[in-house]
Amino acid sequence: MLQLRMFKDILAFELKRRSGMLSTYVYFLLFALAGFMAMVAAGGAFSGITVGGASDKVAANSPIALHALISVLSSLALLVSAAVFGQAVHQDFETGIHGIYFTTPVQRGSYLGGRFFAAWVFMVGVVSSIGLGLFLGTRMPFVDPKLFSPNRLILYAWPYWVMVWPNLFFSGAVFFALGALTRRMVAVYTASVVLVIGYLTAGQLFGKLENRNLSALVDPFGMRATELATRYWTVAEKNVLRVPFEGLLLENRLIWIGFGVLVLAGVLARFRFAYELPSGKTWAVVAAEEVEVPSAGVVPPTPVTPPRGLGWVPVLVRMTVLGFRETVKSVYFLVIVFAGVLFMVVAAFQAGNLYGTLTYPVTYSVVELVSGTFSIFILILMTFYAGELVWRERDANIDGLVDALPVPTGVTYLSKLLALMLVPVVLMGVMMVTGLGIQTARGYFHYELGLYFKTLFGLDLLGYLLIAGVSVSVQSLLQNKYLGHFVMVAYYTLLLFAGKLGIEHHLLRPLDAPSFTYSDMNGFGHFLAPVLWFNGYWAAFVVVFAILGYLGFARGRETGRKERIAVASQRWTRPVQGLAAVAVLAFLGAGAFIFYNTNHLNLYRNAHDDERAQVDYEKKYRALLKAPQPRITDVSVDLDLVPKQRTLRARGTYAFANKTQVPIRTVYVNLPNDQPFALLSVAGVAKPTRSDARLGFYSFDLLTPLLPGATGTVTFDLTFEPHGFKNEGDDTEIVANGTFFHSTRLPSLGYQEGEEVSEDGTRKKYGLAPKPRMADLDDVAARQNNYISSDADWVTFRATVSTDPDQIALAPGYLEREWSENGRRYFSYVMDSKILNFWSVLSARYAVKRDTWKGVALEIYYHPTHTWDLEQMMRGMKAALEYDTVSFGPYQHRQVRILEFPRYAAFAQSFPNTIPYSEQIGFIAKEDPQDKEDVHFPFFVTAHEVSHQWWAHQVVGGNVQGATLLSESFSEYSALMTMKKAFGDFGMKRFLHHELDLYLAGRASERKKEVPLSRVEDQAYIHYSKGALVMYELQDAIGEVQVNRALARFLAAHKLKGPPYPTSRDFLAELEKEIPPDSKHLIDDLFNTITLWDNRAVSASYRDAGRDAYDVTVKFTAKKTRAGELGEETEVPVDDIVDVGVLAPDGKPLTMERRHLKSGAGELTLRVAQLPGKAGIDPLNKLIDRRGEDNLVRVDRAP
Amino acid sequence: MQLQIRNLSKRYPNGVQALKNVTLTLESGMFGLLGPNGAGKSSLMRTLATLQEADSGEVTLGEVNVLKDKDRVRTLLGYLPQEFGLYPKVTAFDLLDHFARLKGISDSRARKAAVDGLLQRTNLHAARNRKLGTYSGGMKQRFGIAQALLGDPRLIIVDEPTAGLDPEERVRFHNLLAEIGENIIVILSTHIVSDVSDLCSRMAIIHQGEVVREGSPLELVAGLNGRVWRKLIGKEEIPGYLLEFQVLATRRMAGQTLVHVHSESRPDASFEAVTPDLEDVYFLSIRKPAEA
Repeated sequence: MLQLRMFKDILAFELKRRSGMLSTYVYFLLFALAGFMAMVAAGGAFSGITVGGASDKVAANSPIALHALISVLSSLALLVSAAVFGQAVHQDFETGIHGIYFTTPVQRGSYLGGRFFAAWVFMVGVVSSIGLGLFLGTRMPFVDPKLFSPNRLILYAWPYWVMVWPNLFFSGAVFFALGALTRRMVAVYTASVVLVIGYLTAGQLFGKLENRNLSALVDPFGMRATELATRYWTVAEKNVLRVPFEGLLLENRLIWIGFGVLVLAGVLARFRFAYELPSGKTWAVVAAEEVEVPSAGVVPPTPVTPPRGLGWVPVLVRMTVLGFRETVKSVYFLVIVFAGVLFMVVAAFQAGNLYGTLTYPVTYSVVELVSGTFSIFILILMTFYAGELVWRERDANIDGLVDALPVPTGVTYLSKLLALMLVPVVLMGVMMVTGLGIQTARGYFHYELGLYFKTLFGLDLLGYLLIAGVSVSVQSLLQNKYLGHFVMVAYYTLLLFAGKLGIEHHLLRPLDAPSFTYSDMNGFGHFLAPVLWFNGYWAAFVVVFAILGYLGFARGRETGRKERIAVASQRWTRPVQGLAAVAVLAFLGAGAFIFYNTNHLNLYRNAHDDERAQVDYEKKYRALLKAPQPRITDVSVDLDLVPKQRTLRARGTYAFANKTQVPIRTVYVNLPNDQPFALLSVAGVAKPTRSDARLGFYSFDLLTPLLPGATGTVTFDLTFEPHGFKNEGDDTEIVANGTFFHSTRLPSLGYQEGEEVSEDGTRKKYGLAPKPRMADLDDVAARQNNYISSDADWVTFRATVSTDPDQIALAPGYLEREWSENGRRYFSYVMDSKILNFWSVLSARYAVKRDTWKGVALEIYYHPTHTWDLEQMMRGMKAALEYDTVSFGPYQHRQVRILEFPRYAAFAQSFPNTIPYSEQIGFIAKEDPQDKEDVHFPFFVTAHEVSHQWWAHQVVGGNVQGATLLSESFSEYSALMTMKKAFGDFGMKRFLHHELDLYLAGRASERKKEVPLSRVEDQAYIHYSKGALVMYELQDAIGEVQVNRALARFLAAHKLKGPPYPTSRDFLAELEKEIPPDSKHLIDDLFNTITLWDNRAVSASYRDAGRDAYDVTVKFTAKKTRAGELGEETEVPVDDIVDVGVLAPDGKPLTMERRHLKSGAGELTLRVAQLPGKAGIDPLNKLIDRRGEDNLVRVDRAP
Repeated sequence: MQLQIRNLSKRYPNGVQALKNVTLTLESGMFGLLGPNGAGKSSLMRTLATLQEADSGEVTLGEVNVLKDKDRVRTLLGYLPQEFGLYPKVTAFDLLDHFARLKGISDSRARKAAVDGLLQRTNLHAARNRKLGTYSGGMKQRFGIAQALLGDPRLIIVDEPTAGLDPEERVRFHNLLAEIGENIIVILSTHIVSDVSDLCSRMAIIHQGEVVREGSPLELVAGLNGRVWRKLIGKEEIPGYLLEFQVLATRRMAGQTLVHVHSESRPDASFEAVTPDLEDVYFLSIRKPAEA
């Protein structure tokens, strides 16, 4: 009883003590503010910022949004809780009051328990303000009430119970234990870092589908488990469901609470109420030694001639080295570095996963990986040790001695700056060694040391040195270590969100420089100059800042502002003034030069300006949408590329015809915004009648109206060239090696509806009415255009491209002639059949690999070192040509060319007889010959792109819903079947599993509405992922031959035809003819509705049925639902033929049958010849089922 | 060399007036600075040691302006603060060597000689390779004086150096200080009266930021001759005496209380004359500063 009372007294005393501290209220207010800001931001208070939910259809205070906001914001409390729990016992050692405590009759249990729970209750109280802040945020007058649903207390409390309280308990127990047992706060802070790493590592594991359950358990904060539980939630579910406290989340919470209990038990067992004796020899020995030695008398004083100026350099070097050594020798430094290395390694073995296919660890990718994953550790270390360095003397209480020594303050200060700057130098070495280790471990020995040095010790280090300078200066100026840490963390955080707040110019983002991309093909390209200029600019800034830090550097005991100013003015000497003046001038000079480049030579536009231009374009010119315009019929271009100057001159002529029934008086021509031109004339009108250069819109009033059927030309002469550099987003199409120039930058005719802002939220902001993403499936007018271009149908094409003599330039068509002239190399291409007005031109220093398939020339133009996947690509081309020709009809060209381009974009895209293919996908993929389920990524992508020569380039959909079914889904299907034919169906299961995951995750983050496949509105998760699943299931259900027959008929009917262009209805009509009467519902299930399954195997048992025969009886439930646009589901009756099967214990299928099932509970029996392991319905997850894992159940012997 | 302090004042941001118009002139030799806790001794010391700014006033050491030319002062200065720590994992030799470098002794042979010599002189030579974390309080204090003596200091400031030392250590320390104090200015701040009377030729008493007495200890004591009286009284009588007389100090003695009283003449017959000592001077100064 007494102890219980003492427990309560200790708890109450602690809470009372904390309630008297200012910091308590500061924390409370800070967290309330964080919640408030997050909610008002989510509520649309700041334009352009979205927080929490992925869609404006999900309420800002929906259960899941509150859950996410409260758990994420409360994780910010980690630093506070580390201090609170760590100090809970440690404070007694720090103040020395433990001697008094430990001699009172209080027992360990009451003492420890009281302190721990006081800390826990305190933290619970502090973070409760997040909910309060969120709630207040929902009630502000300046938020958009349409974004909120009614507030309910339980929705605020739930995340606290499920997430925050257990997290505080567990993490608190760890901090508490470390503080009490090690009696060192550094250990506590290190633990908080390690916890964050645990979380991040769990996140890395999450990348791989197979590891998700493990990662959900490993994450101590339960975030991954929540994510996993809610991953496939649709808008409708997000708005009403609470995160269920069951399954993995429940297990996770139990595991980590249990761990916390264990830790606390450990503290109880280990903690001693003992006085801490200093380590080392005992004092008795010391005393003996002292007495023995007699005084040696007077030592003559050593004359001191204090060094002047550079004479202090040796002292500076020594102090720097000492400070640096103290830093890196610290065990906590080593722990964090070690954790970081571990993290890099874990990340490395998860990285580069394309459908379970690994990529080669080429140097640039490894460098990006290590510098990306390690950077957080570097920032933590630098932030923390900046404080340690600046406070080293004061923490050791030796400052009284040191400060009175005649070392100039500047030397001391500079030594701290330099010592911290050495830290990232060493860490760059650590990263380099780790990177080399990763490459070696993965059997890759093509080390590019030069690239390591340039990236890590060049560009990366530069940034870290600047941060080191600022960290030390901040510590010096603020004179409060923890405030200094806080300011740095706040700086990092603000920088992360600056873009969202519209601060995009790097001149305004401290220490920030433009991003750059290294490419094997183009090296650092043109990115280097701006990066260096910005770094120089910020370096000058850091020098100024460091001078401020010097002026404010603490020496002696001055704390008053007046005194510090007095000290500063004493240090403000001539040399310092001189240096400051130089730095300020350099800062202003570099800033001016950058500004000249980014804002004068180039038009500076942030995301908002771009949006504004789109809006103005729509507002000014949408009225011309229906204005009759001629259609382009022939394209003839001369393109002169000067790669080193990143300049392209484009001259050309379009022939056009009036295909309408009315005369055309005015022709409208679009160019890129602000694009200058030397010539732009239409049908003899040499100059635009009206010009709008800002929006790139030019009107030509014709001299005589263009009569129906009449023809004319557009002639143009444009030069694309860089002017200095931009703040961000310098042109990556026209580059020194690896130009990939797209026809969309050349003139187009008529109002371009595709330029309009599509997102409804943004439209509303500018007073535009919401608009459908695509025209309705049955919109006949819209079918007059295909979905790829709005000013042309099928065109004839020729192009002459010139480039540097060491490069090869490519365009659609066949090479008619190649010659050299004026030291330049010319290529003339002519296309012999009609194509879409959709083409590109590439030029690089290529190596070429050639082959043929039945008279079709196959060529791969690649970067000379990227030879790994050429064979697979060749195989893919041949196999796809074979499959598509046999199944659907002949190939329309005599050549297929794959053209590698730099990784500024990561896709492959099919143009007429040319397939530009990013170096990042496919060219560095690594197939695993051991893995039978390997997806053969380069093979697959190649097959997909080759199939586009049929699906897009032979038949193209009208510009209405469902268009991409006819190109993307069909290409996906063709590639899948090609792959199945080449490799068997080993890879299918994994591939389809990934597609299912992508589809379900994709629909969960749909921003507008989900539509059925036949009405797909260019949504990748539908036309790729669902398309693959649906088409695969279709051929499974009615047969591959039947499906292909339907496709072939559809193709034949619409080949190179239009307008009007076909729609998904035309295909479904052909398909209907192939479907047996009992499966007619398939068209609705697969194409015309969003149908989901929820099949479940409840139990299964087997009986012996003679020798090598077992009868397996499965109890199951079958359920089918149809989902609406926002995911709201209604059940429909099951009356379908579905796979049922039994698997052996090793997972191999023993039998697979198709049975007719009805809704609800059912039972069926299957006979197998081997001992069964698992059984169920739809065992291979071919149907779209959100909980596919419950389709199988273990088979037990029947009683 | 002479240290001149003129009209030195300092007020802390929290309003405490730490120094009020302090004016002192110090010559070579030991100078005792006596005063109760919080009198402003440490503020004065820190100001002289360049670690704190003064609001107004002037300080010169020889030709050097102490408040302005700090770097110059620091080459002439040895400072032992009241409280200090040492890096526990560094050996005495290494740290002293480090300080020697920071003090500007760049010649390595001269530095080694100086460090060795000082370690010997402060009796730490045998323990020079031990980590400072294992040092006793006395050893740390001696290490502190060793670093203060590095180089060729003309002004040594020691702040409460004997607090926490045992009697033997204290004697040893006094001897060391006395040796040093022969040719240079040594300022010894303390609240232990006997430290000053034993060691210092000149002294000042500082109270509430002001210098209330200054002179040689002997003169100051002589000034009180015939004006200090004592009497044994009962405990219950104390309040009355405090009201009636200028009581300098009270002390328990043989079950009764001995009071020292300051008075120009014998208050009454029950008092007997005492030979005053420095303690009486001290108590008189801090009891009635107005009379000084």
